[in-house]
Amino acid sequence: MNAGLEHFLTVGALLFGLGVFAVLTRRNAVGLLMGVELILNAANLNFAAFARYVEHGIDGQVLAAFVIVLAAAEAAVALAIVLAMFRNFGTVHVDAVDRLRR
Amino acid sequence: MFETLALNAPSWSDLRHFVPETVLVVTFLLALMADLFARGRRPAGPFALALGGCLVALAAAVSSLPAGPRSILGDLVVVDGLAGFFRVLFPLIGAITILFSWASGEIMGPRREHKGEFYALVALMAFGMCVMASAADLIMLYLSVELVSLTSYVMAGYMRTSLRSTEASLKYVIFGSVSSGVMLYGLSLLFGLTGETTFVEIRAALLAGRADNFALLVAMVFVLAGLGYKIAAVPFHFWCPDVYEGAPTPVTALFSVGPKAAGFALMIRFFYTTLLSPGGGQAAAGAAAPDGVIVGPADWPLLIAILSVVTMTYGNLVALRQTNVKRLLAYSSIAHVGYLLMGFLMLTAAGLEAILFYLLVYAIMNLGAFLFVIALNNRLGGEEISDYAGLSTRAPWVALMMMVFLLSLTGLPPTAGFIGKMYLFAEVINRHWFWLAVVGALNSVVSLFYYMKIAKAMYFTPGERAPLRLEPLHTAVLILLAAPTLALGVYWTPFKNFVDRAVAGFAGLGG
Amino acid sequence: MGEHVLSWMTFAPLVGMVVIAFLPRERPTLTKVVAAAAAAVPLLLAFQVFATFDRSTAEMQFVERGSWIAPFNIEYFMGIDGLSVTMVLLTALLSFLCIIASWRIDKAVKGYFALFLLLETGMMGVFCALDFFLFYVFWEVMLLPMYFLIGIWGGPRKEYAAIKFFLYTLAGSVLMLLAMLAFYFNVRNPDTGAHTFNMLHMMDQANHSPWLQLSHVRHLIWIALFIGFAIKVPIFPFHTWLPDAHVEAPTAVSVILAGVLLKMGTYGILRISYPMLPDAALWFAYPLAILGMINIIYGALCAMAQSDMKKLVAYSSISHMGYVLLGMSAFTTQGINGAVMQMFNHGTITAMLFLCVGVIYDRAHHRDIDGFGGLGLQMPVYTSVFSLALFAALGLPGLSGFISEALVFLGAFPTYRTITIISALGIVLGAAYVLWMLQRVFLGEKNPKYDSLPDISARELATLVPIAAVVVWVGVQPSPVLDLMRVTLNNLIATVGR
Repeated sequence: MNAGLEHFLTVGALLFGLGVFAVLTRRNAVGLLMGVELILNAANLNFAAFARYVEHGIDGQVLAAFVIVLAAAEAAVALAIVLAMFRNFGTVHVDAVDRLRR
Repeated sequence: MFETLALNAPSWSDLRHFVPETVLVVTFLLALMADLFARGRRPAGPFALALGGCLVALAAAVSSLPAGPRSILGDLVVVDGLAGFFRVLFPLIGAITILFSWASGEIMGPRREHKGEFYALVALMAFGMCVMASAADLIMLYLSVELVSLTSYVMAGYMRTSLRSTEASLKYVIFGSVSSGVMLYGLSLLFGLTGETTFVEIRAALLAGRADNFALLVAMVFVLAGLGYKIAAVPFHFWCPDVYEGAPTPVTALFSVGPKAAGFALMIRFFYTTLLSPGGGQAAAGAAAPDGVIVGPADWPLLIAILSVVTMTYGNLVALRQTNVKRLLAYSSIAHVGYLLMGFLMLTAAGLEAILFYLLVYAIMNLGAFLFVIALNNRLGGEEISDYAGLSTRAPWVALMMMVFLLSLTGLPPTAGFIGKMYLFAEVINRHWFWLAVVGALNSVVSLFYYMKIAKAMYFTPGERAPLRLEPLHTAVLILLAAPTLALGVYWTPFKNFVDRAVAGFAGLGG
Repeated sequence: MGEHVLSWMTFAPLVGMVVIAFLPRERPTLTKVVAAAAAAVPLLLAFQVFATFDRSTAEMQFVERGSWIAPFNIEYFMGIDGLSVTMVLLTALLSFLCIIASWRIDKAVKGYFALFLLLETGMMGVFCALDFFLFYVFWEVMLLPMYFLIGIWGGPRKEYAAIKFFLYTLAGSVLMLLAMLAFYFNVRNPDTGAHTFNMLHMMDQANHSPWLQLSHVRHLIWIALFIGFAIKVPIFPFHTWLPDAHVEAPTAVSVILAGVLLKMGTYGILRISYPMLPDAALWFAYPLAILGMINIIYGALCAMAQSDMKKLVAYSSISHMGYVLLGMSAFTTQGINGAVMQMFNHGTITAMLFLCVGVIYDRAHHRDIDGFGGLGLQMPVYTSVFSLALFAALGLPGLSGFISEALVFLGAFPTYRTITIISALGIVLGAAYVLWMLQRVFLGEKNPKYDSLPDISARELATLVPIAAVVVWVGVQPSPVLDLMRVTLNNLIATVGR
C-alpha cells in the first residue's frame, strides 16, 4: 500500500490535535511552546503534501520552508520571553504569572 | 481587472511601487545601528532616525497614492487603493508613537541599555503592518502577520524587569503563537482545497467549484480565528486586556490602533478577495442585497454580524466594571472592533469606506486617550480612574482635551468619532440590518457610562488642587491629536474623499 | 447681521464661550458680563424677529442655506416658521434671564458660564435647523453642557442625576439617529435626485422611496423617533430622569431644563414626526392622547405628594406637558394651537416657578414645603410674584396658562370626549397642589426661624418681572403670540390631519 494524500492529512490532523491538546493542558511555558511547534508542523506537513498531490508545483513547499524559518524565529523570541519570565518570577509555570487582574 | 494582469516575475524595479515600505525597512536597520552608538540618557539618534523615517515614508505614501491595483514582487504583494490608504495610516501611527514615547517614563525611564531599539522596533512594526495591508498571497499573509506579531511580543515585554510587562509579553506570545498556528493550519487546508496560494487564484478555484464546502468552512473559520485574534474580536480577545494593561503604555497605545487596523486591512483583503465574486461593490446604492456574491456555504454576513454584536456587547459590558484606565480602554477597544465589524459584513464599498474612515478617526482619538494616560502616568505614577480626581482644576486644558477624546470615543457630535460611527450606522441602515443597527446604537449608550466615569473623576470628584504641568512634548502631541478630533467632527469632506478614493482603487471590489 | 439673524442668534453664545475660555480666572465678574453680553445678542435679535416676522405665511423665514458636507448631502440650512419662532423667542428670553439669575454662582465661574452659553447655542440651533443632520448635531451638543451643569453645580446627588439624564437622552437620540439615517437613504432631493437631509424634502411625501411608503416601516420609524422625543418631553414611562435632574440641578439650569429642553421633545414631534410621517401620526394619535392624559393625571398626583418644592414643580411640568400632548394628538386647529401655545406658556410659567423656588432656597437653604409658613408677611413682594406664577400654573383666567389649556380642551374634546373629561380632572388636581402649597408656605403660622429673611432682591426681581409681564400680557391679549403661529399650524393640520 502506498502512502496517499489522506495518510499525510491524517498525520497532519493528528499532529494538530496533539498540539492543541498540549497547549490546552500544559502549564509549563516550554511545554506550551512545544505544542505550538506541533501545530506549525502539522500545517507544514499539509503544505508539503498538498504541494505534491494537489498543486503539483513548489509553492506549497516554499511556504513550508518559510514557516520553518519563521517558527525558529518565533521560538527564539518566545524562549527569550520565557527566560525573562523565569528571571522575574522564578518559574516557568504559567499559572504563577498572574499579576494582572482577570 | 486584477485577474488579467500578467504574472510578474519579481524585479528590483518593483521597489518603485514599494517606496514607503522600503523606507521603513531601511529606517529600522539604520535606527538599530545608530542605537549601537547612542550615548547619553536618551537615544537621540535612533529617535530622530525613526521619526524621520516614518515621516519620509508618510510623505512618500501621500505623494504616491496608487491609482489602480498593481501586482508586484512576484504577485506576493498588491499595491492598490486599500494598501495606499494603510501605508499612509501606519507611518502616521508610528510617528505619533515615537513622538510620545520620547518623553514617556516607562520607555525611557528604567535603567536599560539600547533604549533606541524601541524606535527601531516601531519602524519595523509599521513596515510589517504596511505589508499586511498589501499582502496578496498566503505566504505574504503569514509572513507579515508573524513579523508584526514577533515585534509586538518584544515590545509588550519592553520593560524587562517589570513583572507586569513580562506577564503581558508572555501571554501575548502564547496566545499569539497558538492562534497564528491555528490560522496557518487553516491556510494549509485552503491551499489544499484550491492548490493555489494567491488570493485571486484561490477565488478563481473556489468559483470553479473545486472545494468541498465543509472543508472550506473549517479552513475559513481557522483563518478567521487568526485574524480575529489580531483585531481582538470576541472570542479571540483573551490576551487583549492583560496585554494592554501590562505592556508599557506607549506600546499599548500602538497595539490598540496599529495591529488592529492592519488586521482589518488583511481581513478585508483576504475575505473580500477570496470569498466575494468579482463585479461586486458597484451595484446601485439603495439596493437591499449585498453587492457581491459570496462564494461558499456559510451565511458569512450573519456569522460576522453575530461576532460583531457579541464583541461590542462584551467589550462594553466588561468595560463598565473597570477601574484601571488602560484596562478600560482595552475593553473599549474590543467594543470598537465590534462596531468596525458591522461595516465589514456589509460587503459594500460604502461599508469599507466607513471602516477606513473609522479606523482613521479611531487611530487619532484612541492614541489621544492613551497619550493622556501616558502623560499623567509620568506625573502621577498610576493609571487608575481615581488618580484623575480633580484634574479639571489641576490641568484644565488637558482635562478638556481628554474630554474631547472621550466624547469622540463615545460617538457624540461634534467630534470625529460621531462621524465615523455615523458612516458605519448609515451603511448598516442602508442595507436594512436594523437589529444590528439598534444593538450597535444602544451599545454606544452603554459605552457613554464608562467613558463618563473618567470624566466624572476629572470634573466632579474633588482632588488635589496643585496645578499639574505635563511634559511640553506630551502637551504638544495632545493638541496635535485633539484638534483633528474636533475639527473632523465639523468638516470632514477631504478625509471622506481620501477614503472613498482608497476604496474605489481596492482590487477586491473590482476597482 | 441683517441677513444672518438666525446664525447670529445661534452662534453669538458660542463666540461668548470661546472668549470666556480665555479670560483670566481671577476676574469672575468680567466672565459674567461677557456671558450676559453674549446672551443679549440673541435676545435683541429676538425682538427684531418678533417685529419683522411675517405672520401671514407658513413658509420658512430668515432662511440661510449653504453646502456643508457635499459627499453626504449635508447642508447648513436654517430657517424658522410659526412653530419654531415661539420657541426661538422663548429660548432667547430665558437664556438671558438665566445668566442674570446665575449671577451669584461662585464655583468655577468660567466653566459655568461657558457651558451655559454652549447650551444656548445647542437649543437655538435645534429650533432653527432645517437640515436633519444639523438638527441632530445641535440636539446632541446640548447634552454635554447639561451633564456638566448638573454634575458640577448640582445638589447632593448630582452625579447620579447627571449621568441618568445623559444616558436617558442619549438612548433616545441614538434611536433618532437611526431613524434619521433611514430617512436619508429613502428620500431624494427632487431637483438633483440625490439623497438628502433636507427636512422640507423629507416632509414632501412624494420624495419618499417605495420602501418608505410601507406602513409597517413608517410605524417603526415613527416609534423610533417617538421614543427619542418622548424621553425628552418626558412622556410617561420615560420620565424618571426628570425629577432627579430637577432636584439636583442649580436653579438656572432647572429653568432651562423645564423651560426649553422639555419643549424640544414636543417640538421634535411637531417638526419631524408629524409632517414626515403624517399617516403614522394619525395611527398613533389615540395612544398619544392616552399618554397625554396619563402625563396630566400622573404628574399632578405625584406633584401633590411632594414635600420638596422643586420636585413639586418638576412633577407639575410633567403634568403640564401632558396638555401639549393632548392638544396635538387631537388634530384640530384649536388643539394644535393650544399645544404650541402651552409649550410657550409652560416655558414662561415654569421658569418663574423655578426662579421663585431658587429665591427661597438661596435664603433658607432648603425647599421643604412644610418647613416654612407665614412667609406672606415676611416677604410680601416675593409672595405676590410667586403667587402670580402659581396662579398662572393652575390656569387662572387672565393669565397665560388659562388660554392654552382652554384651547387644548376645546380642541381635544370633539375628538376624544372621555379622555378630555378625565384630563380636565388635572385642572382640579393642579389647583389642589398649587393652593395647598401656597397655603403651607405663605399663609398660616409664621416660622420664627425665618424672622429675618430678607425680601426678594432687585436682581432677582429683574429676572422675574419680564417673564411675569409676558405671562400677564399673553393672558390678557393672546393674539400677538397666537398670530405668530396660527398660519403655520393650521397649514400643518391641513396637510397632516384627517
